Amino acid sequence: MQINTRTSNDIHIVAIAGSLDSTTSPEAQKSLDAVVAGAKKVVLDFSQLDYISSAGLRVLLGAAKQLRASGGKLGMFGLNQSVKEVFEISGFATILSVYQSEADALAAM
Amino acid sequence: MRHGFRMSVGADPGAVEKVNAALAGLAEANALAPDVRRSVTVALDELLANALSHGAAGRDPCSVTVEVELDQERMTVTVTDDGTPFDPFGQDAPDTTLSVEERPIGGLGLHLVGQLMDKVSYQRRDGHNVVVLVKELVNGKTQTSEND
Repeated sequence: MQINTRTSNDIHIVAIAGSLDSTTSPEAQKSLDAVVAGAKKVVLDFSQLDYISSAGLRVLLGAAKQLRASGGKLGMFGLNQSVKEVFEISGFATILSVYQSEADALAAM
Repeated sequence: MRHGFRMSVGADPGAVEKVNAALAGLAEANALAPDVRRSVTVALDELLANALSHGAAGRDPCSVTVEVELDQERMTVTVTDDGTPFDPFGQDAPDTTLSVEERPIGGLGLHLVGQLMDKVSYQRRDGHNVVVLVKELVNGKTQTSEND
């Protein structure tokens, strides 16, 4: 897994490439916690994310809860078919803000 | 033609990665559809994390054997562990309609396994938990792509 963070205006864009699973989630959690602590608007770029398991979902839910509590916003885009399927089964497709494209995600922030 | 692998892992760091790598190698050598590889990888991650980690679902960590078989029609994964009796499919389904604030963190993994696979089964046999997962290669997508 690789995580790259960049900013566009006041929006933090975090690109997570590879897998978000039980092996990689502790590291993803650290990176995301650090971003969320200092940001109000966070967009996750999943265009290079291969798959996600429940360990990865936990990290996303934690970030969503933190941002919700601090009045921030979290969006994501670039989900492949497999990630979408996991989002739908888990109900995350309806509780998290998923966008079709980076432009849509940034515009919604 | 049948292909596959069998390996045993313990509760050491990197155990799940080893299984992932073997599965990725098998998928690549047989030009397996990415969606099938991803679904099986997620299901295995859930079962292994559950069996190998301390306290997951109230279990003690144990050693696990993973056997993967691939033929023209399906991928069959058998996960055997020597831990305390535990039926991963006998748990209550989580409430997936709760909001971000209401959602408990966790409890989704085994639900995912049941939904991502075409067939799942559990048996307690000779002091071992034996979980069998089946992912159909041809028709396996029909029941999971209806919400697109």
